[in-house]
Amino acid sequence: MSSSAATGHLDHHHDHTTSTGIPNKKLLWWAFLASDCMFFGALISTHLVYRLNPPPGNAVPTQIFNIELTSFSTFILLMSSLLMALAVNAIQRGNVKSTRTMLLGTMFFGCIFLGGQVYEFTHFVTVKHMTLSNSIFGSTFYTLTGTHGTHVAIGVLLLGMMYVRTFKPAAGGGGLLRNLAHLAAVCVVMGVSFIWFVPGMIEVIYGASLGDFMSAHAGPYGVGAAALAVVFWLARTGGAVEFGEKNAIDVESIGLYWHFVDIVWIIIFTAVYLLEYL
Amino acid sequence: MSAPATTAADAGHHEPSKFHFYIAIAMILAVITGVEVVLVYLPIAKWFVVTALVTLSAIKFMFVIFFFMHLRWDKVFCTILFFIGLVLAGGTMWALLHLFGAEASKPLSSAALDFARLAVG
Repeated sequence: MSSSAATGHLDHHHDHTTSTGIPNKKLLWWAFLASDCMFFGALISTHLVYRLNPPPGNAVPTQIFNIELTSFSTFILLMSSLLMALAVNAIQRGNVKSTRTMLLGTMFFGCIFLGGQVYEFTHFVTVKHMTLSNSIFGSTFYTLTGTHGTHVAIGVLLLGMMYVRTFKPAAGGGGLLRNLAHLAAVCVVMGVSFIWFVPGMIEVIYGASLGDFMSAHAGPYGVGAAALAVVFWLARTGGAVEFGEKNAIDVESIGLYWHFVDIVWIIIFTAVYLLEYL
Repeated sequence: MSAPATTAADAGHHEPSKFHFYIAIAMILAVITGVEVVLVYLPIAKWFVVTALVTLSAIKFMFVIFFFMHLRWDKVFCTILFFIGLVLAGGTMWALLHLFGAEASKPLSSAALDFARLAVG
């Protein structure tokens, strides 16, 4: 038995039971992220290669981009990384309640980022007339940023699953149906947020009527509000939960993935957006 | 920037809290992002702006992986593993950009293309 185990202290950075001294889950995630680096490297390279020699009639990025909105999205994603780091910090100290709050905050900020992307794509297609197939720039831009957005959406789903997992009772018999209902409600709330609510709010900020915005998508908002009520209702905890400091490696693993989508966006923001303004 | 010291309340059982440390890192990242956005609008030499943007992005990248992703406190093998992927990705990008940025790689105009087809027969 290691000295840390003997004193009851959990070492969250090392695992003396594995041959590498690194928790296997953490090693798996780092290996996956290293491979994902190459995946995004290929996509970013493809975009930049076609930007070196743009064909005639190609879209002009500075006439299409909205740098204020993208800068805001970048800030939001950075702050979501902060909340994710705080969620890991909280569970490493055994604070489940704070972990839940930080996980919800991270999911919410992720949805704001995704909502910004939904608004951006919709605006580019309907107003700027840049589609996936009518220019090389559109093809590489949507492929790259869409793949990144898909990664963010998967991250939100993983965080939702982790959030629901924190409610599993210590006594067992948590009820699979209840957990599935909880996860489904979280997914509905997040889906309504980034597909309708956040893009709608951005339109209101840019001058659309709040009344029109509310009435145009009354159905999805109603469903989202009902799902939010279900999320809060199922979040009432009646007793001790199984989730605790021993699960810090699980939260940290999801955190690694979330921070990775943040660092990919740091590169995309500079290479795809900012460099176009020079 | 060093890791925060263990407080009296933390001693004994839990991991020391890095709350204020993470807040400080996030503020630095936000300020760097603001500087990046302002930089592209400043009337200064293009080479300087490009260099500054690449450097600032690299700094943000390193802050996130070493502090938020805990590489600073984990075993060095994690860092090596991740940097294998990163170096391969960066090397591929560098090679492709140099390959397609070369003069001989520039696409021909339609007139030049017609001429080349005629010359080949």
